[in-house]
Amino acid sequence: MNPTLDKLLAILRRDLLTAIRHRSGFMVTLVGVFTELAAFYYLSRAIGPGFRPDGVAYFPFLLVGTGLYTFFVMSAQAFLNVVQEAQQTGTLEVLMTTSTSPAELIILSSVSAFGGSLTNLLVYVFAGVAVFRAAVHANLLSCLVVLILSMALALALGIFAATVQIAFQKGSALVWLLGSGLWFLSGTLFPVQSLPQPLAVLAAALPLRYAIDGMRGALLDGQSISALAPTLSALAIFVVVLLPLALGALSVSLRRARQGGTLSFY
Amino acid sequence: MDQVIFESVTKKFRHRPALFNWVGRERTGETVALHDVSFAAAPGDVVALLGPNGSGKTTTLKLISTLLLADAGSVRVAGFDVQREAGKVRRQVGIAVAAERSFFPRLSARENLDFFAALDEVPRPARPGRIEEVLRDSGLAEQADTLVMKFSSGMYQRLGLARALVKRPSVLLLDEPTRSLDAAATAHFWATINALADQETTVFLATHNFAEAAAVATRLLLLHGGELLADRVMGTRFSGDQFSGGRSSGDPVGNGGSADELRSLYFRLTGEPDTGSHQIGFAETRAAIRGRGAAS
Repeated sequence: MNPTLDKLLAILRRDLLTAIRHRSGFMVTLVGVFTELAAFYYLSRAIGPGFRPDGVAYFPFLLVGTGLYTFFVMSAQAFLNVVQEAQQTGTLEVLMTTSTSPAELIILSSVSAFGGSLTNLLVYVFAGVAVFRAAVHANLLSCLVVLILSMALALALGIFAATVQIAFQKGSALVWLLGSGLWFLSGTLFPVQSLPQPLAVLAAALPLRYAIDGMRGALLDGQSISALAPTLSALAIFVVVLLPLALGALSVSLRRARQGGTLSFY
Repeated sequence: MDQVIFESVTKKFRHRPALFNWVGRERTGETVALHDVSFAAAPGDVVALLGPNGSGKTTTLKLISTLLLADAGSVRVAGFDVQREAGKVRRQVGIAVAAERSFFPRLSARENLDFFAALDEVPRPARPGRIEEVLRDSGLAEQADTLVMKFSSGMYQRLGLARALVKRPSVLLLDEPTRSLDAAATAHFWATINALADQETTVFLATHNFAEAAAVATRLLLLHGGELLADRVMGTRFSGDQFSGGRSSGDPVGNGGSADELRSLYFRLTGEPDTGSHQIGFAETRAAIRGRGAAS
């Protein structure tokens, strides 16, 4: 078996066993998903059917915006947790002495947590459609392309969070920034066109905004890949720029940590 | 060929205080963890790094394991440079650190070992047998399927050794490996180390237990404040009287002196009382080694 695949399977098995043995974790997550959806459902009802941002009903608009936003935050948090937990339990130094390179280790370790946030997104959207009757007109191919690009983007953001944690022991700051500033500016709850001009310009520079716009177009409007081309291109450019940058930054921060003896600091 | 080579290695830790710390006080400047340290260890050597707290023992182990990078000088393991060929070095080195909570608590001992073995690229078909072997060698066969969060300190320590051994390293690094072990487990542990050294594994042992270092090592490096004060070749392993038979290894640091002078120096540096307990010998360990010999 390919060693990388073997390592990935070992990591998935570790995380699955740990999740199973934390018996209540899954139920808590599920209850959280339904509570959040219910809150958005009744919020959209309170606002009324007259409010149709980007030409779609408000609840589906919220469903995609908050679902994808949560996916990004959870993914970045997952990478951060991988490093933070390993630092706190003392496993990081031991893991860094195995035959697996540190970058490979961090990326592989995050895959299962990444899988968790993806599952959360799918459950969220499925429950929104099946239980709360959100109207969707999905173009599945477009959805898949947006999802793949969004995952690559989440990977870059996650690696940045891990990098900040290793370099400054403050990866949570990046997740906080993601959780506050980006939430406000990326069109999660309302269209970015509602923002004042300077903030709308700032929003145009945020990759999350394109991921959310793309998914709304693909899932709610059934837009084809060609119709979504400008959004997908912007998203692809962000991925091409940010992913190598994140990997480079991780490599530098690991080397600096080995030089300074701060690998296990938290 | 030497398995581990330190050439004029210096390692400093810089203390960078917080930018806006107007309330508390933090140390500034730097700590010299190792200064111009040179030595070499051959396959089968059991090298004891001896010295008081803060003398540079753990830093030495971390440099060998690639966890730290030297500021000056070079460290080579099995012919590979730890800075430029860290991946190749890590394939050679197994480390059992003092903080042995470094496991996944909701996995069993066997599951933990399987996980680390996969990361160490132990081939999948070979893993079950290899894991059984190290569990047996570390005395954990009966606890193999117990979740490690239920382990005692001593069991964690034994599992740490098992983890270090599962990839069959050519260099084994042990940081205070018997700190939490009882007498029987210690004897079993040293018998395992003896067998590994017989198979040409180079063992580094960081300890501030003089008796243990004198009894088990074939080589003794005395560190203090990051300086290598003495480098001595001892007698054969576990003979019980190696210390009095010690000899200088060419006196590389200009401070070889007699074995008794080294002992006096150690106790003067640490302030510990010299009770002479190192001459009691390791009867249980020798018995365990004989037992292994008979079994094989």
